[in-house]
Amino acid sequence: MASVNYKADGIVFDIQRFSVHDGPGIRTIVFLKGCPLSCLWCSNPESQKLAPVILFQLDKCAGCGQCLRACQTGAISLDAPNRVDHARCAGCGECAGVCPMGALVLKGERMTVEKVVSVLKKDTVTYRKSGGGITISGGEPLVQWAFATELLKACKAQGWHTAMETTGCAGADAVEAVFPYVDLTLLDIKSMDPQTHKRVTGVTPEVIHRNAARIARLSQTVIRVPTIPTVNATDEDFVRISDFAKTLPGVDTIHVLPYHTYGENKYALMGKDYPMGGDIRPLPPEDAARFQRIVQARGLRCTVGG
Amino acid sequence: MTANETSVIAKGFTKPTARVERLKRAIVEAVPVMETERAKLVTEAYKETENLAPILRRAKVVEKLFNHMQVTIRDDELIVGTTTEHPRSSEVGIEYSYDWIEQELDTLSNRATDPFCIDETGKKTLRKISKYWQGKTLSEYALSLMSKECRDCQDYAVFNAGNYLYAGVGHSVVFYERVIKDGFSGIIRDVVDTLEKMDRNHPDAIKKEQFYRALLITYTAAINHAHRYANKAEEMAQRETNPARKAELAQIAKNCRRVPEHGATTFWEAVQSFWFVHYMLHVEANGHSYSPGPFDRFMHRFYQSDPTVTEDFAQELIDCLFVKFNDANKVRDDISAQAFAGYQLFELVALGGTDEDGNDQTNDISYMCLTALAHVGMPMPSVGIRVGNTTPDEFLYRACEVIRLGYGMPNVFNDEVIIPAMVNRGIPLKLARTYTPSGCVEPDIQHKYEGWHDAASFNVAKVLEITLHNGRCFGKQLGPQTGEITSFTCIEDFFAAFEKQMAYFVHNMVEAVNCIDVAHGDRVPLPFQSALIEGCIEKGKSVQEGGALYNFTGPQGVGIIDAGDSLYAIQKNVFEDKKITLAQLKDALENNFGHPVEATGSTEISAQNGAAAAGGALSEESEMEMRIYEAVKSILSGSGSISLADLRKSASLPQTAGGGQYDDILRVLRSTPGFGNDIDEVDAFTVRCGRIYCELVEQYTNPRGGKFQAGMYPVSANVLYGKDVGALPTGRLAKTTLGDGVSPRAGVDTNGPTAAANSVSKLDHALASNGTLYNQKFLPAALTGDKGLMNLSALIRGYFDRKGMHIQFNVVDRETLLDAQKNPDKHKDLVIRVAGYSAHFVRLAKDVQDNIINRTEHTF
Repeated sequence: MASVNYKADGIVFDIQRFSVHDGPGIRTIVFLKGCPLSCLWCSNPESQKLAPVILFQLDKCAGCGQCLRACQTGAISLDAPNRVDHARCAGCGECAGVCPMGALVLKGERMTVEKVVSVLKKDTVTYRKSGGGITISGGEPLVQWAFATELLKACKAQGWHTAMETTGCAGADAVEAVFPYVDLTLLDIKSMDPQTHKRVTGVTPEVIHRNAARIARLSQTVIRVPTIPTVNATDEDFVRISDFAKTLPGVDTIHVLPYHTYGENKYALMGKDYPMGGDIRPLPPEDAARFQRIVQARGLRCTVGG
Repeated sequence: MTANETSVIAKGFTKPTARVERLKRAIVEAVPVMETERAKLVTEAYKETENLAPILRRAKVVEKLFNHMQVTIRDDELIVGTTTEHPRSSEVGIEYSYDWIEQELDTLSNRATDPFCIDETGKKTLRKISKYWQGKTLSEYALSLMSKECRDCQDYAVFNAGNYLYAGVGHSVVFYERVIKDGFSGIIRDVVDTLEKMDRNHPDAIKKEQFYRALLITYTAAINHAHRYANKAEEMAQRETNPARKAELAQIAKNCRRVPEHGATTFWEAVQSFWFVHYMLHVEANGHSYSPGPFDRFMHRFYQSDPTVTEDFAQELIDCLFVKFNDANKVRDDISAQAFAGYQLFELVALGGTDEDGNDQTNDISYMCLTALAHVGMPMPSVGIRVGNTTPDEFLYRACEVIRLGYGMPNVFNDEVIIPAMVNRGIPLKLARTYTPSGCVEPDIQHKYEGWHDAASFNVAKVLEITLHNGRCFGKQLGPQTGEITSFTCIEDFFAAFEKQMAYFVHNMVEAVNCIDVAHGDRVPLPFQSALIEGCIEKGKSVQEGGALYNFTGPQGVGIIDAGDSLYAIQKNVFEDKKITLAQLKDALENNFGHPVEATGSTEISAQNGAAAAGGALSEESEMEMRIYEAVKSILSGSGSISLADLRKSASLPQTAGGGQYDDILRVLRSTPGFGNDIDEVDAFTVRCGRIYCELVEQYTNPRGGKFQAGMYPVSANVLYGKDVGALPTGRLAKTTLGDGVSPRAGVDTNGPTAAANSVSKLDHALASNGTLYNQKFLPAALTGDKGLMNLSALIRGYFDRKGMHIQFNVVDRETLLDAQKNPDKHKDLVIRVAGYSAHFVRLAKDVQDNIINRTEHTF
């Protein structure tokens, strides 16, 4: 019998209640910070660093200057258009605490399993009524795999359905520890081509592809393909990904996730440029439908969107 | 849900027939008219009957109306009977009140909310008639019964009891089934039997006999009225050249010859009989919220027992009936019109539910009514569904599919809270299981219950404001002196003062409501309605005199969340974080945080005193100076360097407009978390305020021998009553909108729909047994596919598991609403949820529209 360490802690950057796109029913998503990948299109760039990050929203700022006085490292200047010098910022969150307008927001908070579960419990009735549960996402939740394992065990102790969104980029021991407690895994596969993969994510895909087979053995797994024009939005990519998926034990479903630009704004809040640039438009629905047919022709189920 | 999965749960909707489309268009395009026929006939009848007892007088009034009012059959109609010659128009309940008509006669046709046309001849007629009514109306009589303190409270808008002060009570679910089954002749038979068996030596017999005679006069005239429709239909049939319509008219004539005098033999007759009963209630008196109640439960047997009616024709009949509900209308005074915006009569059809043994009663008619709602898509009737643990999922999914269309209906009621809440009020369990929601959200026991739902709106936020000013309102010592807040040392001091003020004002509200209640019994007993409520014939007295088996009075609390959030803001910022002193708070509130106050209000006094109360409103120039000063000060006191660009920017920010010296306080107050985010320690304040109100109200009794029970819902009064309330410690400026029902304040709930629903479910809904109202707004995209329906259904079931009482949804995207504001002509038929009811969006006043747009929108 596995005991749960409720005092285990980790860096959580958001808990989003009432999500319906990442697993069955109505779910609460726990976003863990830190990711070994840096995908060009990443829609949660504030999640990549393990440490907490300050976001600044110019249109909310009243220019009152309270953050200046609160900052211990002198990282804030009212002259700078984005206020925060991220190189000097220690991520302590003091400025966000005093900002009366909510213009500064700290993303990332150290939380214990106990604390996270107390938030998750608020929607118990909704999970029960909707057949929903908990989804752990990121970042890459396997970066904090020890914490994720305890959190998942705690969720299973409540009887909740658990899901995980993962890139699959982690060590074998992390995979073996975490996935016995995951009912449904949503595993991203971006490209079967090593060069492309390295170019757009910053890492080579071999580890991920090896882990895919391990994960699929431990947990019901769905392959998700963030489909990005100019990167992997070709018929050939979907042929190769489908063929790969068929080699994984028990995998029978692929989700085509069309590229969107919702994350673009967050780069501005972090004072960064959007690496995808503004030229790439969202994936046309007819392309998504064609990829869907390709996958289906290979005997797999396929849905567009989550 | 994705494109390649086949939808099983969503069934889609057929199109209504061309006839239904035409009937609907005629109503949507109708210009409401204020008609004078009823006022004339009623006045004649009153002049002729000055020597009679009130109940007989009223019988003669109804007799005259039934025998002489216009008889109009509109094009395409299958179900006939109307109170007015023009579609979607209104007669005047002149015996209830006249003053406001006289004052508003010239502005009626161009006022912002619910205008009505009236021509000069009509105005002249009403002005002439009015001479008779001076000093004789129900409202004048009721006011004469009230103490000065009680009237003061109303003048200062602490509560509004105008609903039944100026009009009939309505709010009743009568015994339709009895009439459809046995006809009016069955009722006459009952009355004659009772009269014959009566012991004439008993002293009560004298008054009882008058009551029975009144019923006989009334129902004889009612039968004659239906026969007048039969004659009219025959005449029209003779003239009609289109053979199809000719046959329809001939059948309509036959129907009206048979029902409601006798029991219905076909489904068509049953629907016609239902409608006769329903609109005759409106002929007798101008109350609203006469609700059909469990229409599916009582109509099903007539559908099943008619072997000739096809499903399609039955559907068309129900569709026609649903359109017909929108033909009725009610002209109200400007204030009431704002409170009940949208030409509404709040007539609720409540589908599903259980019999007295707890067996689910959902049937074919339940589903057909949902389809009718989808076909017709008009504000009336309101449609609600009862949901309990045994309600079939299929039925709830179908209801969700209709909700997704965006009409704001059906709204959803929780059996598992309402049944025990009624039992707690002394209703036997078996009866409580058969309850029906009525009006907006008020639980009722059909044809056994006089709930006086909606008796008054009590402004809890206003009482909090008065508490913060030691019992003063606009400088007058209106309530008891409970101490200046600067002398308070903890939040319990605030609660103690607040509870004293609440007790004082609830006491006065009860007085006002009971005076009006007595006045209805003394002056306007209603024989037609009374024969259709059980208990009246047995007791030999009208509903208005306490004839019903169960009697209640239900005044609703408005602004409870503003009060709760205000008290939490004080606790958090003054006592816990010590960011603000009570002296600072007092000063800021008295000066409306430095913002000017517009002169509006629901009463003359609250309007006039708006600007004066604001006192220190600053001139534009001094405001700008103040802002620049503030900006310089804040930058200099920090460690950053100063840049002129920043200075200008901060000096011209919209958030700081108007205030200057109070900006810091305002920012602190406005960033305080509020009710609706599922934070227990915050929500506890609102829960406590709700409990204070409910527990004060339930201590009182009414003149009909029943108890008071509180409700917590606003109708759309949260916009209107906001205009009477000064600045609050939530950072809410004077005169702005209050929170809507038990829904979180607009924009405050930011943790998603389950968090908001959890907060709302913490209120003791069962204690507010006259009803609570929770509004959620969803983007249509959030509800697509079968998964969307299942999730919406799960959200409802989850909220109900946590003992929420009622929930309703607006599923319209913000852009559509904004576009409708800009281009009303394009969106004439856009129906949205206002509060306990739906209305045509473009017909609402702008501030009500704004309030709806600003409600927090949830996405899945």
